[in-house]
Amino acid sequence: MSARRVTLRLAQAWVELIADDPAAVSALAVARARLSAGRTLATLRRLRLFELRGALPQGQPLADLLHRSTQFYNPHKERCHVRTRAREASMWSDDAWVVLVKDRDGCRRAAAERWWRHETGDAVEVHEAVAWVLSFEPAGTREVAEELVVLRDRRHGLLCNPHAQAWALSGTDVPLAWITAERGDARSIVPGRTS
Amino acid sequence: MSLAQVAVIQFPGVNCEAESVRALKRVGLEAVVFRWTRRASELRDFQAYLLPGGFSYQDRVRAGALAAKDPLLDVLAGEADKGKPVLGICNGAQVLVEAGLVPGGESIGLALATNRMPDREGYYSRWIHVRIESSPCVFTRGIAPGTVLPLPMAHGEGRFTAESSSVVSLAAAGQVPLRYARPEGEAASGFPDNPNGAAADAAAVCNRRGNVLALMPHPERAQDLGALARTVPGAWGERRDRALAAGEPDQPGPGLELFSALRRHLEER
Repeated sequence: MSARRVTLRLAQAWVELIADDPAAVSALAVARARLSAGRTLATLRRLRLFELRGALPQGQPLADLLHRSTQFYNPHKERCHVRTRAREASMWSDDAWVVLVKDRDGCRRAAAERWWRHETGDAVEVHEAVAWVLSFEPAGTREVAEELVVLRDRRHGLLCNPHAQAWALSGTDVPLAWITAERGDARSIVPGRTS
Repeated sequence: MSLAQVAVIQFPGVNCEAESVRALKRVGLEAVVFRWTRRASELRDFQAYLLPGGFSYQDRVRAGALAAKDPLLDVLAGEADKGKPVLGICNGAQVLVEAGLVPGGESIGLALATNRMPDREGYYSRWIHVRIESSPCVFTRGIAPGTVLPLPMAHGEGRFTAESSSVVSLAAAGQVPLRYARPEGEAASGFPDNPNGAAADAAAVCNRRGNVLALMPHPERAQDLGALARTVPGAWGERRDRALAAGEPDQPGPGLELFSALRRHLEER
């Protein structure tokens, strides 16, 4: 067990494929071709978002732990951005919308938590969800983004089936605690940039 | 009388089309693989449809989510509205649910969510038992309620669920024609009888009319008695043993019951 100083209680790891993400490429094509709200969708990115709560190391030791385990990402194919402060430079353009989609019945990652405890001796909570980053040309409103998110029928919605998943929408100022801030029936909209 | 033509619809990533065609042919139906590259309007020439299992579009976004937006589904929905039978098996069931054909209505009414199992997560595969329930479903037509069929299941997202308690309501309305059960036919008592945590032990859900069925287990993989696992007990297990002893492993298995029901329905129309 390392003797590092432990101060952090919360961190996010944003994981994205280095190559074009096939799911995002396909979803973009389908949204543009089949959904009225998707006609002005210009780009679509998909990231896996981890939130870790507990006794966490700071800085590089935290990044190294995430790097070391395939429980989090594959550094040969994916990049990982660690976020530990709410006020950090945005990872996307100012007019983008970021959508969090998570399983309604929980998104704890027990295997990742076991790995962390084995490696560090510390107990942490690991939660995982998917984040979609949408940008429109011309800039899209919150309503347009929402219509692309929530599946209602074959012509409306794609990214979240509300019968099994919860969602939240933010501007670029994504909350630092986002997955774990949205407990339970998380269909509420997190206030972000006004549309 | 000419044989009814069934289109087995193949999206990229589907991998159960060949055995599905074989099962349909074994009960006396004509069946062809209809690939996503064909004109959607050609679907109207068929009398029934089957969406087989697999991983359409690699399960991108969600299992079945992208295939559900394909223009083929618009034609399929129109033909289903006319009363033509549509069976979705496993990934096909996910497509029907994501497209809103099951349970039907104005908007999406269900999801097939990630399996919920004690002490494990993700993909799960095993032989399970389903009990036939009273239902207008054409795919159980002529099969006595209470009949138990052993079938294999193999999926990661097969848990019928809804925002409200509507799966229970669907069961009360006869729209859950197959439920997970114990081998003797009693109600499932949790995992592993119910292998994924589905509400109301639902192994399948149909629309109100009964002509569209989303079915998670794989009947096409249980079309030969010899394919039944050694662990399958009871009458079907005894039949399997006799078939194997006689050197005839391809005698009709329990999965063919559902395809035979489709044939009966098509013959009576």
